[in-house]
Amino acid sequence: MPDGPSPHPEGPAPAILTATAVRKTYRTGAESVLALDDIDLRVAAGEFLAVMGPSGSGKTTLLNCLSGLDDIDAGSVDLGGESIHEMTDARRTRHRARTMGFIFQSFNLIPVFSAVENVELPLLLAGVSPKESRRRAEESLERLGLGHRLRHRPPELSGGEQQRVTVARAIAGEPSIVWADEPTGNLDTETAGSVMELLGDLHRAGLTLILVTHDQAIGATAGRRIEVRDGRIVADRRQGTAA
Amino acid sequence: MILVALISLPFAVLALRRPVLRRLAVRNLARRPRETALVVLGSLLGTAIITSSMVVGDTLDASLRQGTRTQLGPIDELIATSGADEQATLAAALGELDAGDDRIDGVLALTALRVAASTPGPGGEVARAEPGATLVEVDFPAARAFGGEPAATGIEGPTPGPGRTVVGTDLAEELGVGPGDTVSVYAFGGQRDLVVDRVLDQRGIAGFTLAFGTSSPTLFVAPGTLADLGGPPAAPGAAPPSSFVAVSNQGDTLAGAEGTGAAVAAITEHLGSTPGGLATTKADREADAEEVGAQFSELFGSIGFFSVLAGVLLLVNIFVMLAQERKSEMGMLRAVGLRRAGLVGSFSLEGWMYALASAGLGAAVGIGIGRVVSGVAADIFGGQEATLELTFAADAASVESGFSTGFLIALVTVVLTSLSISRVNVIRAIRDLPEPPAPRTRLRSLVAGAVVVLAAGAWSATGIPAEDPFASLAGPVLVVAGLVPLLSRWVPRRPLVSVAAVAALAWGVTAFGVLPGAFAGAEIPVFVVQGIVLTAAAVALATQNQEALGAALRHLGRGRSMALRLGLAYPLARRFRTGMILAMYSLVVFTLVFIVVLSNLFASQIERFTEEVSGGFDLEVSSNDANPVPVDEVRARGDVGTVAALADAGAEFRTPRTGGEFERWFVTGIDEAFVEAGPTSLGDLGDYPDAGAAYRAVLDDPSLVIVSDFFLQGGGGPPEEALEPGEQITLRDPVSGQTRDLTIAALADSSFANVGAYISRSSLEELYGPRAVANRLLVAGAPETDPEVLAGELDATYLANGADAETFRELVATNLASQTQFFRLMQGYLALGLVVGIAGLGVVMVRAVRERRRQVGVLRALGYPSAAVRRAFLVESAFVAAEGILIGTALALASAWQIVGNDTFGDDLAFVVPWNEVALLAVATLVASLVATAIPAQQASRIRPALALRLAD
Repeated sequence: MPDGPSPHPEGPAPAILTATAVRKTYRTGAESVLALDDIDLRVAAGEFLAVMGPSGSGKTTLLNCLSGLDDIDAGSVDLGGESIHEMTDARRTRHRARTMGFIFQSFNLIPVFSAVENVELPLLLAGVSPKESRRRAEESLERLGLGHRLRHRPPELSGGEQQRVTVARAIAGEPSIVWADEPTGNLDTETAGSVMELLGDLHRAGLTLILVTHDQAIGATAGRRIEVRDGRIVADRRQGTAA
Repeated sequence: MILVALISLPFAVLALRRPVLRRLAVRNLARRPRETALVVLGSLLGTAIITSSMVVGDTLDASLRQGTRTQLGPIDELIATSGADEQATLAAALGELDAGDDRIDGVLALTALRVAASTPGPGGEVARAEPGATLVEVDFPAARAFGGEPAATGIEGPTPGPGRTVVGTDLAEELGVGPGDTVSVYAFGGQRDLVVDRVLDQRGIAGFTLAFGTSSPTLFVAPGTLADLGGPPAAPGAAPPSSFVAVSNQGDTLAGAEGTGAAVAAITEHLGSTPGGLATTKADREADAEEVGAQFSELFGSIGFFSVLAGVLLLVNIFVMLAQERKSEMGMLRAVGLRRAGLVGSFSLEGWMYALASAGLGAAVGIGIGRVVSGVAADIFGGQEATLELTFAADAASVESGFSTGFLIALVTVVLTSLSISRVNVIRAIRDLPEPPAPRTRLRSLVAGAVVVLAAGAWSATGIPAEDPFASLAGPVLVVAGLVPLLSRWVPRRPLVSVAAVAALAWGVTAFGVLPGAFAGAEIPVFVVQGIVLTAAAVALATQNQEALGAALRHLGRGRSMALRLGLAYPLARRFRTGMILAMYSLVVFTLVFIVVLSNLFASQIERFTEEVSGGFDLEVSSNDANPVPVDEVRARGDVGTVAALADAGAEFRTPRTGGEFERWFVTGIDEAFVEAGPTSLGDLGDYPDAGAAYRAVLDDPSLVIVSDFFLQGGGGPPEEALEPGEQITLRDPVSGQTRDLTIAALADSSFANVGAYISRSSLEELYGPRAVANRLLVAGAPETDPEVLAGELDATYLANGADAETFRELVATNLASQTQFFRLMQGYLALGLVVGIAGLGVVMVRAVRERRRQVGVLRALGYPSAAVRRAFLVESAFVAAEGILIGTALALASAWQIVGNDTFGDDLAFVVPWNEVALLAVATLVASLVATAIPAQQASRIRPALALRLAD
């Protein structure tokens, strides 16, 4: 769990992410689709941002482009003081390993690795020693209530358990920012609630969280919501309280 | 082909009547053209191997059969006579038969003599020589009229006059002569110069020769010329000419042999008995050609079986992977109403198309491979004494058979696999959930296990006492395999399978030593079964214990290497898939390494073999029967120590193993000097204390014979059904038909120099008369004499005698070189199986990249470098390939060690591992595997995380 700065109720916190005039077009055959159209966005450190919008609006594309998972056609994305799209692929990859965590709708755990092996993966990638990685991974899983499932492989876990392993994996490397793409999309209401509680706890502990969802109730738990339609941010609202 | 059509009918009907299934199958094929091509490539090799083995047989059959046209033509039977008088009488008698019986349509007297022939150089010296030419005396008009098919006789123009000759093309090319040139022939101690009238093509009687092989170094002279050359009794020690009466059966050159039985019956009826010297020459040659062709088909078919099996494993693997890849689609199809039979139909239809395409292409590729293999084989044989002119042939029946067999193997594999993979739970398939673990003991497994135990137990109980090698080898292993499902109720699977696999491995390696009787003379199919037993057991053992191996490797990598960790994780988790690839690699590498070891085993024993076959001599000198090298003259040379004069002759033998028939072989008459010098070693001394005593007994007792354990055997591999000391055999003179009963005194070691049957020379002379001549001398050089130099001098001195001197070392080296070349050819052939294995790995990795696209995307998102993704895929393929290579190599070395230790290939052979070659093979295979994985690995490393995740989510 990161011990990062707490939210800054007194004034604007330093930006962890700044996107300027980001543009992204997909080409399929002769057709091209403008997925992101001149996106400007600033996210403060410790902020909990919900990206909302209907299906096909460009939410996931926005997440991918902002996190550096995908390239952009124009504009710039500054993350933690570095322009990620100006980096080489190798450097951007290292940057991701050091500073980011990801949570996906389909969990996307590596099926041939056990729960603990999945969680220690980003630690090892960040250069932490195998022994220390294993210790921290076990600790994370135990903290998330999966101490009894350390050696189980993903197919042997329930959906909720798998998503908790994903959360553990996302935070194990103590990233400065965690990206979550529809993290509760594959879960029942009860499990989804517990996962959101978990994410809320992490945010309260200082984690910057950017969450993509089309679920209004989930979006309502975030401190700030942006609405994306046809590749543009059409609304940007701050809420009174964050979950 | 009818079978293929019949089997294809239901698929064709299915394709026509179920458009949905047809569409599914066709579109799945077209969906990934590159992978479809890889699958077809992997599967076509099975058909190619089967077809090529048959084409090799066809080519050798046709090449040998070609001799009936080029060297016999209308000649169907040859009756050897004791001399000119008998020849004339017999020809006259059969002439009467020819006039009144339609079973034969020609009788011709011809006389032949082995001579040396040469052409003089500008200074009168010998320019070019042929020591083994055949001088034929025949009346040309009679020869051309013989058999009623003049063109087939090859004879043209009038009979050459006195001092003139007509030369066959082979000899004309060898000597470089044409019309008007002079050829010198040497026989009976004299020389005769003949002027060439014309050159005849090698066809029919014009290609008649006494030499072995498909070349005909023949020259023709007028009747009476041979008498002018002299001969016994004027030339003591020389064999008289061979006088024959040739008979042409009713029908042309090709059909003649079919009338052999009728013609022999006609001759027997007419003469009152079958002439002793009658040989059904054309029918025998055709039978030999067929036998040799069949032997080669079987040899290449057997060694290619491993590759075919690898192809089957590849198909199973591919279809299982296809099913896994399409799991959710299959679930959806089932959900919308497609029955399980429909799924099976769709997969089978797709497989049917694969099978048809791969069998068609495989048959075409097989013809090409067959051509290459035949060419290389012909080169190898061409290096030996008997040349073989290659006539490439691919019978439609063989190609059709290869196509059908390949098609059936592929189709049966695919249908069985389809039946298995179509058993899906709809919800689990749609949601891509793993199948629950199978219950520990299923009733079906228990019943199957019990049936296997009982059947294999019964097979072993009857087969082992009967010394059946297959039952002895596979029976106990199957009993153990059947026990696994029976005991799995009480014993955990991993230790149970491990113990069973170790037991099977131990039996597979040691069976040859434990039951030597069952494996004496084991043929190639036995080794094929051994290979399958060993690899199956080793792969089962490895598959059950992969985790331990993986943990050890990870430990070695100290847990830091992410590529190692990820690269090992998949093969360890996907045990079925890994097992299939392991089996492919292990099977093929096992055979390759086994052949490499075997090849070197013999090649490295040159000194030992030389010592064994030389029997105290340095070289052997063969010469023409009509003009043998004078023994006393050679003995008197200062550079010569001891000389043994042996008489080699063609003979016919009947043994308890020949079913009452006489079979052609060689007989060798030995003399005192041969025994005194310390004769060649014996494998089974019988009742004698040593080899010298056994040979001396043969020398003293005309009813005794020593034969080699290869006596009357053809083909390759270890000797089979060798005779034993004490057994009775009968020797028959093929000219006179006289017989002599002999008792086997001892068995000689099989080797390159002593495949004949040894009797005393006096005994041979008694039976053969003047035709038993000392035509092979064994010579020991005087001290300080270089055998190579001595051989060269003897060749030059006795050129007129057709002398061919060769040191035993050279003889052994030449034979070993041919053997090694043949092993190389087999290695090349087997390497095709490796192509299947490597293609299989490539296909698996290509599919793996697709299957793990999303996982690679996640890894990349988490910060996994693209180079590490590439390395992980390479580690994965290297791990599986290396494991397969290790298993195959270890098993091959263990088997070879055990087999050599049991003297299966001869006594006291030293087991030597050619580490360099084995290492080269292993490294080359590993590198090829990595190359096959390089492209998919590169593709994996280029997966863009966002794209992979977007497609997934």
